[in-house]
Amino acid sequence: MPGEQNGLDERDEQLRTGGDVRLVVPASPEYLRLVRLTAAGMASRLGFTFDEVEDLRIAVDELCFHLLGDDDVVPSDEERTMDLIYSAGADSITITGRTALSGAVPEQSELSEQILDALVDEHEVTGGTNGTVTFRLKKQRES
Amino acid sequence: MAFEATDRNELRSKLEEYANTGDKELRDEIVASQVGLAEYLARRFKNRGEPIEDLIQVALLGLLKAVERFDPSRGLEFSTFATPTIVGELKRHFRDKGWAVRVPRRVQELHLRMGTVVNSLSQELGRSPTIPEIAQRAEVSVDEVLEAMEAGRAYRFSSIDTPAGEDEDRAQSPAAGQLGEDDTGLEEVEQRMLLSPLIASLPKREQMIIHLRFFRGMTQSEIAARLGISQMHVSRLLARSLAQLRDRAGAEAAPG
Repeated sequence: MPGEQNGLDERDEQLRTGGDVRLVVPASPEYLRLVRLTAAGMASRLGFTFDEVEDLRIAVDELCFHLLGDDDVVPSDEERTMDLIYSAGADSITITGRTALSGAVPEQSELSEQILDALVDEHEVTGGTNGTVTFRLKKQRES
Repeated sequence: MAFEATDRNELRSKLEEYANTGDKELRDEIVASQVGLAEYLARRFKNRGEPIEDLIQVALLGLLKAVERFDPSRGLEFSTFATPTIVGELKRHFRDKGWAVRVPRRVQELHLRMGTVVNSLSQELGRSPTIPEIAQRAEVSVDEVLEAMEAGRAYRFSSIDTPAGEDEDRAQSPAAGQLGEDDTGLEEVEQRMLLSPLIASLPKREQMIIHLRFFRGMTQSEIAARLGISQMHVSRLLARSLAQLRDRAGAEAAPG
């Protein structure tokens, strides 16, 4: 539901002050760079290694691109946004996100699942009500 | 590009048949017959700093999408339908990497230099270095390192197999052969996915990297060591492979 998608209120409570970061970008693959950079910046602050930061970047990209879709097929909607919260744990980072969908929750390919399994510790996509979809990614630091 | 009426009729009947049957061989045949259109449009985008071969690849992908989506019942000429699809694909290609092309030279140079820095730090530390460690060694800020990591995506479609200031392609041939050896203990799911036409369409070395990273759980630095290339190169190849898989999956899934 483009235009009505500002219902972030309940999540504001979740946004702890302890170094959490919130990012709202237009729901278009063009903005994935910011989404990746923020993830990488946050992970590097937490002492993630180059390998781990790379994995996180690829995972964020894979999952977000999956949800935003190919805007060649699904035209970008200026009104539509993707809203992300990056939460820092002691040795992990959790990224939750939400966006409105123009259609049904896109089905994740087996390959995409496999890729995410290999890159992060936890990942899930939940189709919500009112045409929104939420996702969550968690990556643990090794040592 | 004068198009004889007979050619046009032949193309139309093939497209109609493809719309009905979805025959992949027929699709490829149609694509092959229209390569000229893709090349013609790709050339209109030259002089923008991208190798023409890459642009033709992108245009061919657009052409493939156009063939798959063309609906003969709407009465449009195929070229009328295909041209905006192909041009759209080319524009998207430039837009996707648009920021990267504008990446300052010093960031591009840092990206290339980081290949060496990451490799030597990994060896010294016996583990993957942290971002601050890389920044310190390269004598730049953490932000610059992060920016340089992103710059790897600028190579998405460009010819990264011609080493750009970094000797990183020494062990190319062993990699191609190793996939076969590793195949012996494949899980069924793994085998199915690896043998899918989608992955099989990638260059051998990229198939190998996908296999090792996502199915064998090797880290990027382990893969780099095994293949004898820099980790930055593994990172670029992974980014490129995944982007190509997506594009192709998109083309496959497009309504026919």
